[in-house]
Amino acid sequence: MPMRVLALLMLLATPLLAEELHVAPGTGTLADAIAGAGPGDVLILSGGAYLGPVTLDRTLTLQGVGTAVIDGQGKGTVITITGDGVTLTGLEVIGSGNDNQAIDSGIKVVKGADGTRIIGNRLTGNMHGVDVHGGLDTLVRDNVIEGRQNPHMNERGNGIYIWNSPGTVVEGNSVRWGRDGIFSNASKKGTYRNNLFRDLRFAVHYMYTHDSEISGNISIGNHLGFAIMFSDRVVVKDNLSLGDRDHGLMLNFANKADVAGNLVRGGAKKCLFIYNAHKNLIANNRFEGCGIGIHFTAGSERNMLTGNAFIGNQEQVKYVGTRFMEWSFEGRGNYWSDHPAFDLNADGIADGVYRPNDLMDHILWSQPSAALLTGSPAVQLVRWSQSSFPAILPGGVTDSHPLMQPTTIPVPADIAAFETEVAGRWSKGQYDDIDTDDLGSH
Amino acid sequence: MSERPTSGISRRGLLGATAGGAALAGAIGGGRLALGTGAGLGALALGSTAAQAAGEGFEVAPGQLDTHYGFWSSGQTGEMRILGIPSMRELMRVPVFNRCSATGWGETNESLRIHQRTMTEKTKKQLAANGKKIHDNGDLHHVHMSFTDGKYDGKYLFMNDKANTRVARVRADVMKCDAILEIPNAKAIHGMRPQKFPGTKYIFCNGEDEAPLVNDGSTMQDVSTYVNIFTAVDAEAMLPAWQVMVSGNLDNCDADYEGKWAFSTSYNSEMGMTLTDMTAAEADHVVVFNIAAIEAAVAAGEGEEMNGVRVLDGRKDAKSQFTRYIPIPNNPHGCNMAPDKVHLCIGGKLSPTVTVLDVTRFDALFNDNADPMTMIVAQPELGLGPLHTAFDGRGNAYTSLFLDSQVVKWNIADAVKAYAGEQIDPIKDKVDVQYQPGHLKTVMGETLDAENQWLVCLCKFSKDRFLNVGPLKPENDQLIDISGDKMVVVHDGPNFAEPHDAIAVAASKVNPLSVWKRDDKMWAETRKQAEADGVNLDDWQDMVIRDKDDPKKVRVYISSQAPSFALETFTVKEGDEVTVIVTNLDDIDDLTHGFTMGNHGVAMEIGPQATSSITFVAANAGVYWYYCQWFCHALHMEMRGRMFVEPTGA
Repeated sequence: MPMRVLALLMLLATPLLAEELHVAPGTGTLADAIAGAGPGDVLILSGGAYLGPVTLDRTLTLQGVGTAVIDGQGKGTVITITGDGVTLTGLEVIGSGNDNQAIDSGIKVVKGADGTRIIGNRLTGNMHGVDVHGGLDTLVRDNVIEGRQNPHMNERGNGIYIWNSPGTVVEGNSVRWGRDGIFSNASKKGTYRNNLFRDLRFAVHYMYTHDSEISGNISIGNHLGFAIMFSDRVVVKDNLSLGDRDHGLMLNFANKADVAGNLVRGGAKKCLFIYNAHKNLIANNRFEGCGIGIHFTAGSERNMLTGNAFIGNQEQVKYVGTRFMEWSFEGRGNYWSDHPAFDLNADGIADGVYRPNDLMDHILWSQPSAALLTGSPAVQLVRWSQSSFPAILPGGVTDSHPLMQPTTIPVPADIAAFETEVAGRWSKGQYDDIDTDDLGSH
Repeated sequence: MSERPTSGISRRGLLGATAGGAALAGAIGGGRLALGTGAGLGALALGSTAAQAAGEGFEVAPGQLDTHYGFWSSGQTGEMRILGIPSMRELMRVPVFNRCSATGWGETNESLRIHQRTMTEKTKKQLAANGKKIHDNGDLHHVHMSFTDGKYDGKYLFMNDKANTRVARVRADVMKCDAILEIPNAKAIHGMRPQKFPGTKYIFCNGEDEAPLVNDGSTMQDVSTYVNIFTAVDAEAMLPAWQVMVSGNLDNCDADYEGKWAFSTSYNSEMGMTLTDMTAAEADHVVVFNIAAIEAAVAAGEGEEMNGVRVLDGRKDAKSQFTRYIPIPNNPHGCNMAPDKVHLCIGGKLSPTVTVLDVTRFDALFNDNADPMTMIVAQPELGLGPLHTAFDGRGNAYTSLFLDSQVVKWNIADAVKAYAGEQIDPIKDKVDVQYQPGHLKTVMGETLDAENQWLVCLCKFSKDRFLNVGPLKPENDQLIDISGDKMVVVHDGPNFAEPHDAIAVAASKVNPLSVWKRDDKMWAETRKQAEADGVNLDDWQDMVIRDKDDPKKVRVYISSQAPSFALETFTVKEGDEVTVIVTNLDDIDDLTHGFTMGNHGVAMEIGPQATSSITFVAANAGVYWYYCQWFCHALHMEMRGRMFVEPTGA
C-alpha cells in the first residue's frame, strides 16, 4: 500500500494559494487545526493517534503520513464531512459509535457536501465504513474497509452506504465483514467497479438506483452476490460471484439492464435469479456449479439471452411460467453442458435445439456419471420420447441455436485462493448469520 | 453474428431488435402450437407440476361444505368478501365502502344512515360540492374479527378504509355492515386490529398520512406541524375512544394477548415527504402503546379535546408514558403477534430480517426505561423483502418474502436460540409463490386457536398465471398446504382488485341467521317513521302516505311475498320525493326480493323478513314499471307493478 499511496499523494494537486499545515497527534490537535485552516488548505497528519470525532465543514485535504489514526472513541461518526471538496487520504479511521439508527460511520458525507474524495484510507471496526448520505459526486477509491463481526447481522453496518448521492464513484475498495458491501438505496448515476467483497451478507445490495454501473467487482463467500432490485438501465459487467450462498446475481424488477461477461460459480442456491425483470440483455456470462443455473419467473418478458454458458448446475434452468421463450439471438444461443450436441457443419452451433427441464436433466444431476452417456442411444430415446409426447402444460424455454463451446472467464490466482477458502461454507447449514468461527480461521 | 462477441456486446443492435426478438420468440412458440407437431412442446414448467401432484385435500365436492370461513378484504373495490376454505370458492360479497348495484348499498336509506352517522362537516361539504351524499369508494385493506379471551367470538368483523379515513363494522349474524365511522383528526387509516384480550373493547387504527392536526391550510407548507394519529375506537359504540399523536407515520398494527399493549410499525420515522427522504434512515421503528397509561390520562382529562376526541401527545419529545419507540431496520412493514402470547414479529421489508420482540419485556420499557434493543430476542435473516408473518399452532412462523417471491417457514423458538448464539437453523422450508406475496394468513393463526392445515398467500401479481384477460390482470390468492414438513401450493385463486388481507375462521365460530329478525335495528329509523305514519311494518302493507308537513314527500309502503308486491300500482305527482319502503314478508331461506324502479336508477335488495327503503324524486311524468330483480319464484318475471307519475299541470 505505501507505494500506491505515495503515488497517489504525488498525483493530488495542491490548489494554488493553499497552505500545507502539519498537525501533530493528540487530543484536540486535529479539531484545532481544522478550525484554524482556510479553504483549500492541506493538513498533513504525521503518524500517531488523533482523537475525534471531527467535522470538516470547509474545503480541506487531510493527508495521513505513516500511520495517522483518527479515533472516534466510540462517539457517533468519526469524520463527518459537511463542506464541499474535501479530500481524505492515507488515514486510518477507527472507533465509530454503535448507533445504527444514526448510521454511525467511519466517514460520513452529508447532504450538501459535494465532490468529496476518499482515497487510500483504511477503515476498521466502525459500525458503517463510509456513509455517502446525500453528497453529490463523491469518490471512494482504493480504501480497505473491514467491518464488525458481531454475531447479530443487524448490529453490523454496511461497508459503503449510499443514499441519494448521484454521481458517486466507488472503485478499487476492499470490503470485508460487516453487513453489506455496498448498500445503495434511492440513489442514481453511481459507478461501482473493481471492488472486492468478502464475508458479508450482500456484496452489492441495490435498491432503486437507476442509471448506474456495477463492473469488475468480485464477491466471494457472501450470502448474496449482486442484488439488483427496482433499478432501471443498470450495466452489470465483468463481475465475479464465487461461492455466494443464495443468488450470485439477482435481477428483481431490474429493467433494461446490460448484464454481460459475469461469472457466477459455486453458488449454493442460484447462479442467476430473474424475477419480474424485463428488457434485459444477458450475454456472455458464465453460470457454473450452482444449485440452479437460472431461475426465470414472474412473467419476465423481452429479455435477451445469448452467448451465456450454463455449466454443471444441478438444475440448469428453472422456468416457472406459461409462455414460450426463445433464448437465442440471431442464430446464436447459449452453451449448455448437459446438451448432447452434434455440430456436423462445424459452425460452432449445435445441430439440435436445447430444451431444459426434461427428464434427462433430472437424471444428470442426480447421477452425474450419466453425463458420459448423454450421446448414448438410451438417453436419446428418453429425450425423443419426451419431445414426442410432450407435457400438456403450456410454455417453456427453447434455445434453437445452442453453442458448442462455453465462454471462458478467467479468475486471477489470488481470487481463486479466496474462493477455495470459502468452498463448502454453506453446506454446513444456514444459520442466523455467518459462522464467525469459520471466518476466524482464515 | 458469426464471431464470438466480447462482453462489450453492442446493446444498440440488440435493443433495436429486442422487440423483434420477442416477437420472433412468440412466433416460434405460436407457430409450433399451430402446427401441433409436438416437436416444440417438450419443455416442462416444473413449478406447476409440483402443485398438481399434491392437489389432494383441498377440493370440496359438490354439496359438501368448507370447514372454514375466509373473510377477505378487497382493497380499492371497497367491499368485504367471504370465501370458503379450503375450496377458495367465493361465497358472498358484502358491500361496505363501495356502491353496490345489486343490493342498493349506498342508495337505500338504511345504508345512507350508516354512511352518514359520523360523517364530519368537512366531508359533508366536500361531498355536497361534488353533488354527492356519500363517498362511493373505499380502500379496504384489513378485515379482522372481534375477540373474546384471545379467540374469535363470531360477533363482528372490522375493516379499514385508507382512502377516506374510516373504519367499518360488519355484523357477523347477518353479514351486513351496521356502522361506518369517519375518524376525525387522523388521515388515511391503514393498519387496523381489534384488541384481543380480554375482549375487543377497542379497535386500534393507524393513521398513515402526515398532516397538521388542524388541517385548514394555515400551516400546510410547514412540515414540522405535521403529525400522525393513532386512534382507539370503542368497538361497541363505533365511536373514537381516544387518540395519540406519534413521531413518524404508522403502517401496520397488532395487539398482545394480555390486553396491555398495542404496537404499530412506521416506515417514515424520517417524516420525509418524498420517497428519497422516506428511505434516508437506516432504521425506522415500532411504536408501543401503553393502554393502561393512556386510559388513566384520558380519565384524568389530560391532552386536548379535538373534534370530540381526547388527543394525547405520545411523540418522542413529549417523553410520555403513553409510547415507546423500538428501532427496527429498515422501513419495517408487517406487525404480527404470535399465538404463543410472547413474540411480536416485525417484517423488515428492505432488511432481509424479521425482528422478533418479546412483549413480556415491555413493562420494563415503560417502568425502567430499559434499552429498546433488549426487547429483541431474534432477528432471523429469512430472505429478501420480508413483509408479513403468519403462525401455526406448532410454534412455526410463515413469512412472505416479497422480493424472493417465496413463503419461508421458520421456527420461532429456534430463531431465538440462534440469536442467543446456538448453532441452529430456524429456517425449515421455503416455497415459491406466484407472484410477489403481500399478506399471508394461516387458519385462525392470529388467535390462540391457531391451526396447522392451511395457509393462504395473497399474491400481488398473477402475470402469466391465468388466461390473459387483457392488461388488467387478476390477483392470485394461493392456498398452501402446511400440514406436513414441506409447504405445498395446492390452488391458485384469481381474485379481483385487490385483496390485501384475509382471515380464516372455523365454521363452528360463525353462525349467521338465514332469515332476518323483524326487530332488527338495521331499519329502526324506518320503523319509527312507519309508526308515525300509522303503518304496521310487520303486517301486510299497501299504503301510500303523503307527508302532512311537506306535501312534496310521499311514502309508499309495500310488502312483498313471492311472486307479488302488495301494491301493483301506486300514483305520485311529477316532482314528488318518493320513498318506497319494502318489507319482505317471506319467511323462507334464500328468498330474497328486490325492488327496481325502471329508468330511475333505483334498485335494492330486501332479504327474507327484512325492510329496506329507498328515496328518489319522480322527475318525469308517465308510467314506470317496477319489478323484483332477485330471482324469487316461478312467476318472478310477473312480480312487477306500475308507478304512475301525474304531470304537474294535471
